[in-house]
Amino acid sequence: MTLPILSLIICIPLLAALVLASGKLKGYAQQISLGASLIQIGLLIKLALGYQTSTATFQWVEQHDWIHFSLGSLGQFVAKYHLGIDGLSFGLIILTGIISSIAIWNSDSIKEKTSSYFALIMLLNASLMGCFLAKDFLLFYLFFEFMLLPMYFLIGIWGGPRKEYASIKFFIYTLAGSLFILLALLALGTSYIDPYETALAIDFIQPGQAFSAENAQMIQTAIANGEIASDKWVHSFDAAVFADLKNCYYKSILHPDSAWVLGNLSAREWAFWLLFIGFGIKLPIVPFHTWLPDAHVEAPTPVSVLLAGVLLKIGAYGWLRFTLPFFPKEALEFSNILSGIGAISIIYGAFNALAMTDLKKLVAYSSISHMGFVLLGIASFTAEGWQGAIFQLISHGVLSSLLFLLVGVIYDRTHDRSIQNYSGLAQIMPAYTFITGLAFFASLGLPGFSGFIGEFFSLMGSFNSQHSSAIWAILGGLGIILGAGYFLWTFQKMFLGKQYLKNSEWLLSDLTRKEKLSLYFLGISSLLLGIFPSIIFNLTDNWVSHLINQLF
Amino acid sequence: MIESFGYVLAFLVAGTGFMALVLTLARFIRPNRPNDEKLSTYESGEAPVGNANVRFNPRFYLYALLFVLFEIELILLFPWAVVFGDKQLAAASENWKHFALFEMLIFIGILGLGLAYAWVKGYLEWEKPNIQAEDFKSPVPPKAYEKFN
Amino acid sequence: MTPVIALSLFGIINLFLGFTFKRQSLQVVTLLFIICSMALTAMDWNHEYLWFGDMMKTNNLSINFSLIIQLAGLLVVAFSNGFGKDEVYTQPAEYYAILLFSLVGALLMVSFQNLIMLFVGLEILSVAMYVLTGSDKRNLRSNEAALKYFLMGSFATGFLLFGIALVYGSTRSLYISGILYNLSHTAPESLPSFLYAGIILMGIGLLFKISAAPFHFWTPDVYEGAPTIFTMFMSTVVKTAGFAAIYHILDVTFGGFQKNWIITVYFITIITLILGNISAAYQQSAKRMLAFSSISHAGYMLLTVCANQPSTSSNILYYSLAYTLATAVSFAVLMVVAEYQTGRTEKPENFDALNGLAKNNPSLAFAFTVALLSLAGIPLTAGFWGKFFVFTDMFNKNLTYPIIIAVLMSAVGIYYYFKGIISVYFNSGEIEKIETSFLFKIALWSACIGTLVLGIYPTLLKSIF
Repeated sequence: MTLPILSLIICIPLLAALVLASGKLKGYAQQISLGASLIQIGLLIKLALGYQTSTATFQWVEQHDWIHFSLGSLGQFVAKYHLGIDGLSFGLIILTGIISSIAIWNSDSIKEKTSSYFALIMLLNASLMGCFLAKDFLLFYLFFEFMLLPMYFLIGIWGGPRKEYASIKFFIYTLAGSLFILLALLALGTSYIDPYETALAIDFIQPGQAFSAENAQMIQTAIANGEIASDKWVHSFDAAVFADLKNCYYKSILHPDSAWVLGNLSAREWAFWLLFIGFGIKLPIVPFHTWLPDAHVEAPTPVSVLLAGVLLKIGAYGWLRFTLPFFPKEALEFSNILSGIGAISIIYGAFNALAMTDLKKLVAYSSISHMGFVLLGIASFTAEGWQGAIFQLISHGVLSSLLFLLVGVIYDRTHDRSIQNYSGLAQIMPAYTFITGLAFFASLGLPGFSGFIGEFFSLMGSFNSQHSSAIWAILGGLGIILGAGYFLWTFQKMFLGKQYLKNSEWLLSDLTRKEKLSLYFLGISSLLLGIFPSIIFNLTDNWVSHLINQLF
Repeated sequence: MIESFGYVLAFLVAGTGFMALVLTLARFIRPNRPNDEKLSTYESGEAPVGNANVRFNPRFYLYALLFVLFEIELILLFPWAVVFGDKQLAAASENWKHFALFEMLIFIGILGLGLAYAWVKGYLEWEKPNIQAEDFKSPVPPKAYEKFN
Repeated sequence: MTPVIALSLFGIINLFLGFTFKRQSLQVVTLLFIICSMALTAMDWNHEYLWFGDMMKTNNLSINFSLIIQLAGLLVVAFSNGFGKDEVYTQPAEYYAILLFSLVGALLMVSFQNLIMLFVGLEILSVAMYVLTGSDKRNLRSNEAALKYFLMGSFATGFLLFGIALVYGSTRSLYISGILYNLSHTAPESLPSFLYAGIILMGIGLLFKISAAPFHFWTPDVYEGAPTIFTMFMSTVVKTAGFAAIYHILDVTFGGFQKNWIITVYFITIITLILGNISAAYQQSAKRMLAFSSISHAGYMLLTVCANQPSTSSNILYYSLAYTLATAVSFAVLMVVAEYQTGRTEKPENFDALNGLAKNNPSLAFAFTVALLSLAGIPLTAGFWGKFFVFTDMFNKNLTYPIIIAVLMSAVGIYYYFKGIISVYFNSGEIEKIETSFLFKIALWSACIGTLVLGIYPTLLKSIF
């Protein structure tokens, strides 16, 4: 029996959370959680060594029975504990592992209730990992929604002055999003019939027996012709089942022929929009983004790092993993609107960032702007656009973590984040200035850094796209210029010019060795990804072409 | 079904008739000497003056409840007795008599338990108003009153 | 059959034990009684039989309901802590006896086969609850609550009886089986129209008991006025029994007439969901919030009654269990905190009274949070699956519009449930360590763990229900 590595990746932080929550080892909370995430990274390295980039299928798959309930004469529901990694998720779990350990590493500013704090970070880590590893849509959903809780407490307990408002706003926004997803999930679950599980239920095959595509087709036709009694139907939540329209029961609400219409949109279109907005709130896309600046401003630095570095990525991951394969036609139909939303996110986020006086808010709005590129890339429906979008996810994960850590550095020293209160920092903090400059240039898309690759490929996809108008790509390109504007302007105001501090008593020491370690690590990662983008492209290449083949 | 309601009708007619007969008879036989006291409403010895919504002493509720309790017991006992004495039913099943008797014993037993509970709890005690002794000292010695009474 | 007899006997025994036993030992004895009757209930598993002149029926469904109801009773007794230390004004023996008697009523309501037994069960349950609601004799609000509950409750019973009479008039039977037989052997055109009025009236009588809007006006006042421990009992036992009865009447007996009652019940469901949730969001008192939340949960459970799927009964069971565990825990924590805060703050049942609970009472705070999360329907708690199963039923019936309302309302729910969590964890306040009894702790933790286990692995019970 092989070691269930994926389960271990989820369980180790859970175990650590349990140990921490018991409160026995109070003084060593940070060490324990750091240890747990290092073990996790070790497991990820083991995965990386055995990972095959040549296929697009899931690897290291684990599958166990989990939920099973009967609907009487309407068949039964099955949900499985089903984990696996592929080209899309692999990069993201590595990102999650690294960013969480960096967040833990930089958690020195948390002084009170440390064991609960690290327990919550570990819970968050476990549910994030669970999100990226789950193959079953229901399992994903559970992790997705559970993730809100540790985040809520992290912002609400250790947050700034308006923490209650920020945390409940964060929770209600994202929970509304996940309820949309729940609706779509239930509609999918009741409409689709899993041929494999049904075949098992009618003893067509035995457990463990191979199940070919022809077999699946036989079952599908048998169901459509009414040859299998409805109490033998098995509905499952496996993402692969939802991706095949032939599994959709012809009388169900989500079948393309269904007569259900609400306000000009068919049931499938509604379901698509529910999923899109549900994940979009997380990303966030523009009309639903207002929770993000509030949450970032109130959250302590390491929580911001996790929020921007990993949490936001789940929105885009959900689109790529679930929304597009489940509703390819609908997504294509609306691709122009999606691109539009992406372009508006870019421009709107950038303009807001230009107007911000709070450094952290600026970084938060720049996040919104950068995530717009992801949507632009996804909505292009081209291979390069998707590659770029996935690359941008990882690149932004690295860069936004770096930026938030940098904001944290100055906030720890002065408890003030207003841009206008600082000037000429380059003279006092040369190392800090250097790494900030690096981060700013990387974020604004300087060639050679990872940000450039992600944005460039997303935009290229958008230009080449037959499905969305080039005007959105042009607007997106404008966003890069605006990005350069606010980053350079901020850099100039804070670091260059005459030395000025609002409060002369502020003691601004340069970076400590501990801070340097994580900051340089992230900076170098961004540089590496920018110089060798093939590290990511190798992973995603097969996956993207597989998805393209599947959809077109 | 309608026929069985005939008994009820007969019962009503006979009852009304009997009452009418007796009252009319009494009207002629009895002496008729009314006074104010006799014409007033009978209220268990209380003076029938004042508002109808007066507050009754809660002690009365206890007795009312106990009364209702035993009333209901009696009401059930009557039909039970009829069924219990039914020869046909008794012949139909061997254990009928024992079963029916036992059922009623359980019923009365539970009521008896209730009574015992109320007794032990002291709910059957007539709560006497706690009259405070006056500490007024009269200059006239009590013995002086005895002479007058 | 045996649990009904046993519980009645236990109740009587309890009355007499009160003469000699101390309040703490009475609590233990009552717990043992309920466990004993639960065991008796479970022994009937897989035996289906009629009893008491064919007026009652025991089957697996009724056993499941009975077990949930008795579990709720068990939790209430365990949380009761002997009803405090007040020797003069509290009578634990009587309270426990009345609790046991009302359990008998609830058991009758889940296994009736004759409408008269439904009525008898409902009355046994309700009369007991009227007494318990007013048991805090020195508290004006408790008295007011008892009177309000009694008046409204008798009105509702009147509706129920009138409905039963009309149904009897049109189907010539009080037996469920007789009604079903007569209905299936009569042409729908020749059925008298007052049958439909009867169905609706019976529904109204029962909907009152589960506090569905617009029959909910008593709920907040009564829940708030009654001593918290009895509020807990009311919101768990009465609701579960009421839903068992509603399911039996509307779905089992008159499921064939769904088109005649569905519009009414739909309307009531939607109103219940909206009113319950929106009003709950405005409450300052946590106890009142829980009262409105109980209204809103009635709405969710009514959704599955509307859907009337083969899995409806099992979904009601799961939802009731999840709701029972969570409500019991949240009321229990609220109760001990309010006890502690009485005299310290003006309104000991407000959210503000919970401020800073987590600091010195982490376990109470954690249990409270788990319970509220379960009520809000967050994943990995039992409440999530309760809602999930209900929504599945709706989708199977293609009832999409009510689901949208239900989903929106669960988002509203987050707001007010999280108010409790905010007070407990985020706000600062001075609450010292609150000492709770051993039984209290056990009940708290088992309910909490139950909520989590059912949240992680729902198949555990879903396969039985």
